[in-house]
Amino acid sequence: MKKDLLQAYKQAPWRTQVQWVGIFLLIVVAVAAVAGLYLFISGRSAATGRRIQNLESEVAELQRQNNDLQTQLGEISSSRSLNERVESLNMRPLTPNEAIYLEVPGYIPPSGPSLAPPPSIKEERTPILLPEFTDTFIEWISSKLKADTQTLTPTEVQP
Amino acid sequence: MNESMKNRYLMICVIGTVVASVIAFQMIRIQHIDGAQQILAFSEDYQGVTRMIYPDRGNIYDSQGRLLAGNETSYEIGLDLNSISQPETIAGIAASILELDYAKVLGYATMTPGDGNPVYVVLDDFVSKDKIEQLVTIKEDYSKRTARGNEVLPNIDGLLWTPHSQRTYPEGTLASNILGFYSYLDRTGGIGYFGLEEAYDSQLAGTPREVYIAFDPQRLSTVEEVPPGVSLVLTIDREIQSLTEKTLDEAIDWSGAEGGTILVYNPEDGGVIAMATTPRLDPNDYWDYAELFPNPLPYNTAISQTYEPGSVFKVITMASALDSGEVDRDTRFNDPGYFNIGGATIYNWNMGGWGDVDMTECLQYSLNVCMSWLATEMGPDTFYTYLKNFGFDRKTGIDLGGENHWPLKLPGDSFWYEVDLATNSFGQGISVTPIQMAMAIGAVANDGRMMAPHLVKSMIIDGEQYNVDPVVVGTPIKAETAHILTDMLVDSLENEASNALVNGYSLAGKTGTGEIATEFGYSSSETNASFAGWGPAEDPKFLVYVWLEKPSISIWGSEVAAPVFSDLVSKLVVLMDIPPDNVRLSNDINSVGQKGQD
Repeated sequence: MKKDLLQAYKQAPWRTQVQWVGIFLLIVVAVAAVAGLYLFISGRSAATGRRIQNLESEVAELQRQNNDLQTQLGEISSSRSLNERVESLNMRPLTPNEAIYLEVPGYIPPSGPSLAPPPSIKEERTPILLPEFTDTFIEWISSKLKADTQTLTPTEVQP
Repeated sequence: MNESMKNRYLMICVIGTVVASVIAFQMIRIQHIDGAQQILAFSEDYQGVTRMIYPDRGNIYDSQGRLLAGNETSYEIGLDLNSISQPETIAGIAASILELDYAKVLGYATMTPGDGNPVYVVLDDFVSKDKIEQLVTIKEDYSKRTARGNEVLPNIDGLLWTPHSQRTYPEGTLASNILGFYSYLDRTGGIGYFGLEEAYDSQLAGTPREVYIAFDPQRLSTVEEVPPGVSLVLTIDREIQSLTEKTLDEAIDWSGAEGGTILVYNPEDGGVIAMATTPRLDPNDYWDYAELFPNPLPYNTAISQTYEPGSVFKVITMASALDSGEVDRDTRFNDPGYFNIGGATIYNWNMGGWGDVDMTECLQYSLNVCMSWLATEMGPDTFYTYLKNFGFDRKTGIDLGGENHWPLKLPGDSFWYEVDLATNSFGQGISVTPIQMAMAIGAVANDGRMMAPHLVKSMIIDGEQYNVDPVVVGTPIKAETAHILTDMLVDSLENEASNALVNGYSLAGKTGTGEIATEFGYSSSETNASFAGWGPAEDPKFLVYVWLEKPSISIWGSEVAAPVFSDLVSKLVVLMDIPPDNVRLSNDINSVGQKGQD
């Protein structure tokens, strides 16, 4: 009788097998999902890394081109080149007697070229993450308590 | 399941467990043997590469932002021996375009990499962009060809070109004595020599950084940015520098001088506007240095060569005498034509006496006897204290490499004699550099304030421009003394109808003729001819110092150096937009007006 009762509550063998297979498949799917996600993320990060590397090469190339163009400009507008062009155009330097000076009220002679902006005031960067995301519970409690004691001092009269 | 099946399963489990355990054990063991560690260390070389990144050397600009020293791209040509398939084609191309030896390149290209042979061989360096463009064209042309049948297409696989920076000076020899040069052929150990390249070498070079570049895409990260070196903006004006160099070259040709120096200096802030010396090197071809500058010829005579300046030094003596209160401009002196001191006799330049003269005439006639009298009236303590205050006992500290100075002999020194007090007063027995003279006389022009001579007006650091403030070195004389002396020098030039005058402009100045010491004593036929002057006299915008060494056309500064000063200043006022006095003073234009042409 006792044996019969136990038999009544036991799962059918095929159900147990299905459960095991189901659990196994669930694990396989979970592992596959994690692996796929990992592959996707790592693939993207690798592609981004390569893109950054290419952009850095491009930046270096552009800097080199910038240097080359500056040098070319320097050679084209060099004193020697300009003098040759001036002579070929049959021009000559102005003499003091040939110059006419006009008074221009308010004119301020240029003090020289500005090749770069003046020094800027360095501002301290505020952290992107708010303290709520970095503080521990204990730190949050202590900061709250500290803030409360600072706002409620005995000498202050609250409205 | 019967007992036999159970035993079989048990046996399989045991065997499987043992095999798995053995494999696991072996896996762990292999990772800890010496060979594994060696392989691990070996693999590090293939995971990435550590490279030293050298920042671009900072540029140098003139006061108007025109490039004087910069960088351009040049290329290293090399062979990747693992990638070469046609050594003959590579050797042929290298010989025809890069002008390299065919047999030598072929020898490299046919080497087998490894077994003591390198994987990469450098064929040439500092190859121009034009040649690289030819190689690129050939490579593209080869890649477009289509093979017919068994035809083998030519290729230059394995021939590599890598870009890098090369220092360049687009103005050639212009201002090369100021710039110095950078030994760019040494790509990792290059340093700056002379001038600004030496004085600011570490700032211009920037800070090289070692960076790790991973081959593994998973480990790729941004390469840390290496900021370029500091760029310099100078007080030098390229057009004025060019004019000054041209004037100096013409003056040397005309006067037959062995060499010379012309300085254009702003006495108000100490900025050097132009500094011309001879000879001049093209810093693009810096390897010619030894040939152009045989020892002991200095690279920049304006700061490195000391000489006895002669009568131009009388400005300093008179400034000291006036400032100390020993004399005023109306004090009179009866010049007998000789002055005895310390067992020696001092004579004037014409060996004659000039009778009753005032202090302006002492300067106008450049009387050695009068100056000797002034120095003895002041006494050695006062006189040499003034010389020290004018900076003759030290270097000026100009921001150029290679500055030199001659120690000032003082009373009490073993080589100082009483007669030195007299000879020093007219610029003999004392050695100075042109920049020392310009700085000291600049104090007279600038209300008694002596400014530190400098060439850097501002610096560009990390993309921001920082201005360099002028520095007052000292105030050797009072402003009142400076004004009186300036008036005296203006009068002396005008009374003398000097060759230094420029029509329409008030100028103050003094000539100098210094005898040159030889092993047989002072030579009267070989002199240092010089002139120091500034203008406009009461509001100076420039101070010009001319020094010609051993001119042959005449020994006198008034006949050789003064006309050079006049010639330069007549053009300088146009370039600096300085109107004539009648325009400037009538309109009360303190600054500069707009200029047109008649």
